[in-house]
This record gives sequence, C-alpha cells and structure tokens, in this order.
Amino acid sequence: MEENLNKHSNISAADLDRLTKEASEEATPSSAKIIWNEFKADKPAMGALIIVIGFILFVMIAALFINTPKMMETNIMNYNAAPGSNGFLFGADTGGRSVGQQLIVGARNSIGIAIGLTLISSTFGICWGLISGYFNGYIDWGMQRVYDFMMMLPMTMMIIVLVTIIKNYNAVTLTFIFSIFYWEGTSRLIRSRTLSESEKDYVAAAKTSGTSNFKIIFKEIMPNISSLIIVDTTLSFAENIGVETGLSYLGFGLPIQTPSLGTLIANANDPNNITQYWWTWLPAAILIIILCLSISYIGQVVRRSADASQRHGITD
Amino acid sequence: MSLIEIKDLKVHYPIRSGFWNRVTDSVKAVDGISFNIEAGETYGLVGESGSGKSTTGKSVVGLEKVTSGSIMYKGKDITKKSNRNHLDYNHDVQMIFQDSLSSLNPRKRIEDIIAEPLRNFEHLSKDDEKLRVLQLLDIVGLDADALYKYPHQFSGGQRQRIGVARAVATNPKLIIADEPVSALDLSVQAQVLNFMKKIQREFGISYLFISHDLGVVRHMCNNIAIMNRGRLVEIGTRDDIYNHPLHIYTKRLLAAIPETNVSQRKAHREARLAVEQVYREQQDKYYDEHGDAYPLVQVSPTHAVALPEALAQQIVQEGEVKA
Repeated sequence: MEENLNKHSNISAADLDRLTKEASEEATPSSAKIIWNEFKADKPAMGALIIVIGFILFVMIAALFINTPKMMETNIMNYNAAPGSNGFLFGADTGGRSVGQQLIVGARNSIGIAIGLTLISSTFGICWGLISGYFNGYIDWGMQRVYDFMMMLPMTMMIIVLVTIIKNYNAVTLTFIFSIFYWEGTSRLIRSRTLSESEKDYVAAAKTSGTSNFKIIFKEIMPNISSLIIVDTTLSFAENIGVETGLSYLGFGLPIQTPSLGTLIANANDPNNITQYWWTWLPAAILIIILCLSISYIGQVVRRSADASQRHGITD
Repeated sequence: MSLIEIKDLKVHYPIRSGFWNRVTDSVKAVDGISFNIEAGETYGLVGESGSGKSTTGKSVVGLEKVTSGSIMYKGKDITKKSNRNHLDYNHDVQMIFQDSLSSLNPRKRIEDIIAEPLRNFEHLSKDDEKLRVLQLLDIVGLDADALYKYPHQFSGGQRQRIGVARAVATNPKLIIADEPVSALDLSVQAQVLNFMKKIQREFGISYLFISHDLGVVRHMCNNIAIMNRGRLVEIGTRDDIYNHPLHIYTKRLLAAIPETNVSQRKAHREARLAVEQVYREQQDKYYDEHGDAYPLVQVSPTHAVALPEALAQQIVQEGEVKA
C-alpha cells in the first residue's frame, strides 16, 4: 500500500510539517471556543456564569473557615436577633444561630449534594440510555423493564423510608440514596436520541471501519448527542438543588445539626417567622431563585452554541 | 477463483403481529441470489427501489444479518461474525455510502474520519498516519487544509470524495458502492465516477456498484445483474444486457432511460408505450404464480435470465431472427 500511495501522490514525508501547519491555520475553531464566544455575545449569561462560579467558589472556601458544631450551638441570648444587631450581619434564627454562617455552610452542603447527585445520576443515566438505545433488541428490552420498575417506585416515599431506616447518614450517603432514583429521566431522553442516531450511516461506516461497539457508543454517538447531554445536565443540576432543599424542608433531608438551604427555608414553617422574622428564611429562598435562574441561563447559551443556526456570537 | 462468491443469499425480515407478537410472515428483501465478483472488475447491481440491492450490498460488507446462504471470501463464509473478525474482513472490503453527509460523523474532523480504518487495522505511527491521510486527500483531489475541517464545510461532491478516500485508506480488494452518486448533481457525478475509475486502475480494486441509474452503470460496469423483488432476473455482460435484453423487466428498465434527442421524441414515446404494453400483457409469463422471478437459466456462457427453459430458448431464437 505504501509504495502504491507514494507512486500516485506527489506528497511525501518532507511535506508533512508544512502541510500540517497550513491545515492548522485553516482549522475550524473548537467547540470550547464557540461556547466562549457565545458567552461573550450574551451579557446576562456572562453575568450568570460569573455569579454561579463566583458563588460556588466563595461558599466552598468560606465554609472551610467556619466551625460548624460551634455555629450550630443554641444561644438563647441571640434569640431572633435582627440583621445588624449583636454582630450578626444577616441576623440570627430562633436558636440564636447566625443566619449568615448557616447560609454559607448550608449552600455548600446543598450545592455539593446537587453536584454529586448530578454527576452520579447523569453519568449512570447517560450510559444506561446509550447502551440500551445502541444495542436494541433483547438488551434494550431488559434494560427498559428495569427502567419501568424504577419509574414505578414512588420516589419521595422511598427516599423518606430509606432515610429513616439508615442511621447516621450524612451528605455523602444522602447523595447516593438520591442517585438511585434520579437517573431515569436522563436515561430515557438519551435512549430516544441514541435510537435515531445509531440508524445513521456514520455508525455503519464506523462498523465497516472495524471500530468496536464500545468505541462507537462513546466516541461516535456520544459526541453527536453532546448538546442534549450538556443541556440536560445543567437543567437537572438546577433541579437537583431543589431535590435536596425540598426534602430538607420536609424534614427528611440532612440531619438537623447539618445546615442546608432546605432547613433554612423550613424556618418559614413557623407563622411567627414569616410575619416578623423574615431574615431567617428569605435569604435562602432568594439564593435558590438566583442560582436556578443563572444556571438555566447558562444552559441556554450552551444549547445555542451547539446549534449553529441559533448562535449569537461570532464563530470564525 | 472469484474474489467473492455469493451463493443463494437470503435476507428475510420477520413481521410480528397478534397478541403474542409472534412471527406471522416475513418480508423477503433478498430471496436467494447468487453471483460472483472477480478481482479488479466492476460488478453492477441494478434494480428499482425496494428490490433489495442495498440489502445485498450491506450483507456483503457484513452490516446485515443474513438469514441463509453463504458469501465466500478466501474460502471462508463471512456471513459468520467470527470468520469476519478472523480474516480482518473489513480491511479488505469497504463501503461507500449513498448519503455523503450522514455517512461522515459531523463531530469528527476529516483527519480522524479518514484515519479511522487505519487506526483500527494498520496501527501506524502518528506521522505515518497523517502522511497517509494527506496522500489520500491528494489522490481524491482535496487540499491539505481540509485536514482539520468538519464534514459540513464541504460540498456534496467533496464529501463523497472524502468517503471514497476513507474507503480506499486500507487498500481494500473490494469496495461496495451503494448508489455513490445518486445524491449528486450530474457534473459532480461524472467527477466522482472518474475518480472511482482512476482509483480502480491505480489500486486494482473491485467494485460492487449498486445503482438504479442505467446510464451510470453502463459507464462503470463490465458485468451487470438486474434485480427485481429480491431476486435476480438477468445476469450478463454490458453488451448482453444493453443490446440483447431477454427479460421483460430488463427491457422495461432500458426503455425508461431518458433520451435527449428531441426530434425523435414521438418515436421514443411510442417505443416506451409498446414495451409497457407487452409488460402488462405478458407479465404472468415472466413471473411464477406468486409474482416472483423464476430461477436463472444460462442462455450463453456469460448471459443468464430468470425464465422457464422453453420460453428462454424461444425468446433467444426470436432475437436471432430479428437480428
């Protein structure tokens, strides 16, 4: 083959460097660059990105300097201290605990759980959907029956039961318990796209090129549904913040000694707090709204950059 | 010995119905066809859409599960996956697809697309691989700056040439060309076909050329098989098929080739209508009671037609009298 090619082509090893250089000058920008251009073109999304990343970094680092057990100690002298009084910038709650510090540690816990839950459940859901959709036939049938069974279980009830059964649970075990139940939506979405993707000719071409099934699934099909994956992951991240806060609000999330955004909002259960001591629950509620809005802004930009016809930014 | 021997190939798809979803019937996409492809030749497979020609092509390259029959390559039956893996079959047999856009992964750069078979079969060093890709691009007439671009940045003709470059990358012995030019306009068709011919001369490749365009097939192929409803109705050399067609279906296909001579328009129209008339009247003579084609009967060393023996002889004689 080699002699054959050399005979019919004027290109030889000597030209390699020159041609590679020429080609890289003409190269198409990478997708990371396209996403960045898209952020630059959309100011609100850029603001949202800065808010989300800045806030996550802030709570992660600031929480390291807070002594949580000490912070959670009840102090009757500071009962519902108003913001600015007794040295509390954001006031204190019924137990006399600093709302500002609880906000930092609570946001760290809630966001940490959301990130962990998103990573585990999305990864599992994506793999499940890809494999099920690609192989079709009996494998798909079996995997979809498992999916149906999981969908049938009442999710919130199961989590509440598991949380009551397991003693000494913490943020990590809670993340795993959530992950068991939150991969289904993603897997079904990914499967439906994989079904249509794997019928396309480029998959057949990859098979005739001798590529293995595993490589076709993760290196050929997955990049082609990456826009769907990114959008689904960002949106489910916003949703997952709500999952933990919702359960903590009901009292089945993190243990009482561990603050989270949900336990802070649960302060609003008390009519007194709603009417008079608004600082105990309002900051956490506003924080969640801002975070979820910002994340969905970011998700929209990423979705736009995956589709050339919707782009705002300059591509070349 | 032929390069590929296809024997009694059948591809049936089950139809499921009823409460228990049981197999109640089957679609006979390919129903018992046999032919051989010689080394270095272009074998044309012609038929209307739905006649099973693409399914045949996919079976030969190993993409379709075969119901029964055999495809022999190097003395092994490659309808079995283990034999295909053992022979590195797709190193020697490659495919060019009809739709050039969907056959190239939109998320991969041209370098990665063309290098894919090389990475799987040849394991070259990085520089050797890049050099090979550049040479292949040069052979199909594309510049080196195509290397880091994506498929959507090329025109249809360029994309199809990238597909050709990928197919010849491992220097295969046989390329299945599944309607490679039917999605292209006429000027680009000629360009791509000439590239394919040039590559065949230079690398000694055989083609299984699947098409419904008889003009293109005449330009490309030495031997031609006509397919209808999953069976072969006529096999012969280019001369046999175009100048001495025997089966009514072949005659009908040939009559459908558009003529560019405007002054003769009326005569052509009448000739076409006459063929259609004969087809309607004599249809049951040429097909059996289920509407399927008969088994093939040899009428000359190169020419075979799917007719009952007596009828075949009769038609051959009529043809000789006319000549």
